[in-house]
Amino acid sequence: MDTNKKNREYISALMDGETPDADLELAMAALGGPEGQQAWDTFHRIGDLLRAEATPELSHGFEERLAARLAAEPLQARRTAGAAEPAGGSAVATPR
Amino acid sequence: MTTERECDQLLVERVQAGDRRAFDLLVSKYQRRLMRLVSRLVHDPAEAEDVVQETFIKAFRALRHFRGDSAFYTWLYRIGINTAKNFLVTQGRRAPTSTEADAERAEGFDDADSLRDINTPESVLASKQIAFTVNAAMEALPLELRTAIVLREIEGLSYEEISEVMACPIGTVRSRIFRAREVIAEKLRPLLDIPADKRR
Repeated sequence: MDTNKKNREYISALMDGETPDADLELAMAALGGPEGQQAWDTFHRIGDLLRAEATPELSHGFEERLAARLAAEPLQARRTAGAAEPAGGSAVATPR
Repeated sequence: MTTERECDQLLVERVQAGDRRAFDLLVSKYQRRLMRLVSRLVHDPAEAEDVVQETFIKAFRALRHFRGDSAFYTWLYRIGINTAKNFLVTQGRRAPTSTEADAERAEGFDDADSLRDINTPESVLASKQIAFTVNAAMEALPLELRTAIVLREIEGLSYEEISEVMACPIGTVRSRIFRAREVIAEKLRPLLDIPADKRR
């Protein structure tokens, strides 16, 4: 990765508040130049535009239809303590 | 003071103890957020709504396994993303991955260049065109990049939370978000009139 691209990656993480301590000085230095400031501005503009886009509303009756399906689902008891659970816990148990 | 995560966990435990109404409260809380996420992956609103409904059903069925190692919403988002991916596959649509080929395809997207030819002087390019370009670039992104930037920019999740949702290392999250921004920024560049030599 070229230096300018790497600098923009530092800035991307910096604007998310996710810069590792070891990279903080490099990120701040990257932000000092015009290219860094431009990346900072463009990346923030992208985020603002994404957040501004309208989200489709759930249709009328969505909750009722879901409630009807949920009511038909058997309520299964929590697994007993001590039952084997794969490493990774809930992440592994995530249905696909 | 009870945090949002602790509050969710209390509701989860009530469902696990047999209180169905507690799950209704979780549905009520998360249905719109889930729709916001899923509608960025499945564009038809009716289909997105079906995916949201299916996500809640799967979550309800699997809730007895949920231990609270992660926040409920990161677990729910993960189910939602998996359900959306499966939906796209069963519909015969391409669910893009983060392979280099896909990234190159995304980078080949050239609607921004086309926009410059619509008889609109650069000096008065409307913000609508910029918004259109951002959204078109988003849709062309590989699914992993799109999911990562939506979780960050729209849902406000931390990199650690996104790594839980997407089941990948934090470094991969950082890279995916950056790559998504880079691809979108590149499409925006002609509209923002940023000289190429200022970006390379």
